[in-house]
Amino acid sequence: MENSQLIAIQTFCSSYNVEYSFIESLQRNGMIETVVVSETQFLHIPQLRKIERMIRLHHELDINLEGIEAIHTLLERIDVMEKEMTALKNRLRFFEPGL
Amino acid sequence: MPFVDYYQTLGVDKKADEKEIKNAYRKLARKYHPDLNPNDKEAQKKFQELNEANEVLSDPEKRKKYDQYGKDWQYSEEFEKARQSRANAGRQEGEWFSGGGDGFSDFFESMFGSGSGFGGGGRQARFRGQDYQAEVRLTLREAYETHKRTLTVNGRNIRINVPAGIENGQTIKIAGHGGPGSNGGPNGDLYITFAIETDERFRRAGNDLHLKADLDLYTAVLGGELVTDTMNGKVKLNIKPETQNGSVVRLKGKGFPVYKQEGQFGDLYVTLNVKIPTNLTEHQKMLFTELSKS
Repeated sequence: MENSQLIAIQTFCSSYNVEYSFIESLQRNGMIETVVVSETQFLHIPQLRKIERMIRLHHELDINLEGIEAIHTLLERIDVMEKEMTALKNRLRFFEPGL
Repeated sequence: MPFVDYYQTLGVDKKADEKEIKNAYRKLARKYHPDLNPNDKEAQKKFQELNEANEVLSDPEKRKKYDQYGKDWQYSEEFEKARQSRANAGRQEGEWFSGGGDGFSDFFESMFGSGSGFGGGGRQARFRGQDYQAEVRLTLREAYETHKRTLTVNGRNIRINVPAGIENGQTIKIAGHGGPGSNGGPNGDLYITFAIETDERFRRAGNDLHLKADLDLYTAVLGGELVTDTMNGKVKLNIKPETQNGSVVRLKGKGFPVYKQEGQFGDLYVTLNVKIPTNLTEHQKMLFTELSKS
C-alpha cells in the first residue's frame, strides 16, 4: 500500500540505493518516524528531505549517526532562529523603514 | 579559461598520496558541504570546487592526465578532441538559478568531459535534484493583492501565484522546479523568498497598517470629518471635538490581508497630526489672543 503521503521503506531503499539497515538505525535512534501498514514499513513522504540530507551526510561526509543527529538538531535550531530573525527584522522595519 | 590548481584547492602537496587527498577532501567537504551551510552561495561554490578537485585527484587516471597536461592542456591534441566532441554534444548540466554555474568548471569539462556527479563515491543512487533559491521583490501594494507573476529560472518561465498578505522575508516552495534529479531521481524544488519594499505612506506591522494623516486645528478643536487614504480607496473619518495631536484612530478591517485567509484583514491605525495654522492675519491673531485669555 502506497499513497501520496507514504512510501514503502523497501521502495525508498532501492530507489536511493541505501541499505535498509541504515533507515532502521535512523528509526531506532528516534531520528525518523515510520508507519507500519499491513506488516509493511513506510516512511512519511514529507520526511524525505530530512532523510535525504541524513543519507548525504552519512555517505558523502562519513558522519556517523550521532553526528548526523547533532547536525540535524542544530540545523533545525538555525532554521527556527532564521525565522525569528526575519520576524524581528520586519518589526524593526516598522520603526526604521530603510532596513 | 583559467587553469585550476586542484592541489591548491584541496591544500595538499603534489606528491600527496591517495589517503592524504581523501583526508583533505573529507575535512574541507565537512566545512563547506551545502547541507551544513544552507543558503550560503559561497560555501556551495567552494564545495563544487572541492568536488571537482577530488574527482580528478582521487582518480589515478584523471590525476595522471592532469599532472601531465594540466597547465598546458590547450596544446594537447587529445584534450582538443575531447573539447570538440563535447562542444558538439552540447551542454546538458543544469545551472543554479543563484548563479553558481555548472557543477564542474569549464577547465574540468574541457579536459575530462561532463562530470558524473558529485559525492556518493560512484554509487548509482537516485537522488533528488538540487534545490534552487530565488528572490522576488514586491511593492507593498503588490503584496496586498493576490496576483500571478512569471519568473525566469534557468531559462524556463514559471508562472506563480503570489498570495495576498505575503510577508517580507517569507519563503514559498514551488515543488519540482529545482535542478534535475540524478539517475532518474525527482527534480529539486524552487524556493522563492519575497522582499517587500517599504512604502512611503503605509507602514506594515504584521497584518496591521499604520498611516499618518494631517488634521487642521479647527477640525481638531471643534470636531468634523477627515477624508483619509486606505490601501483600497478613501474613507471618511469622524473627528471628535477636542481631538489631541497624536491621537490614533483604528479602522477595523482596513489593514493588510491575512496570508491565505481569504476575506480576513488586519486593521488600519491612523495617527492624527494636528497642523497649527501659519501666516495668520492680524484679526486671527487677535482672536487667538482672546482665546488664550479665556
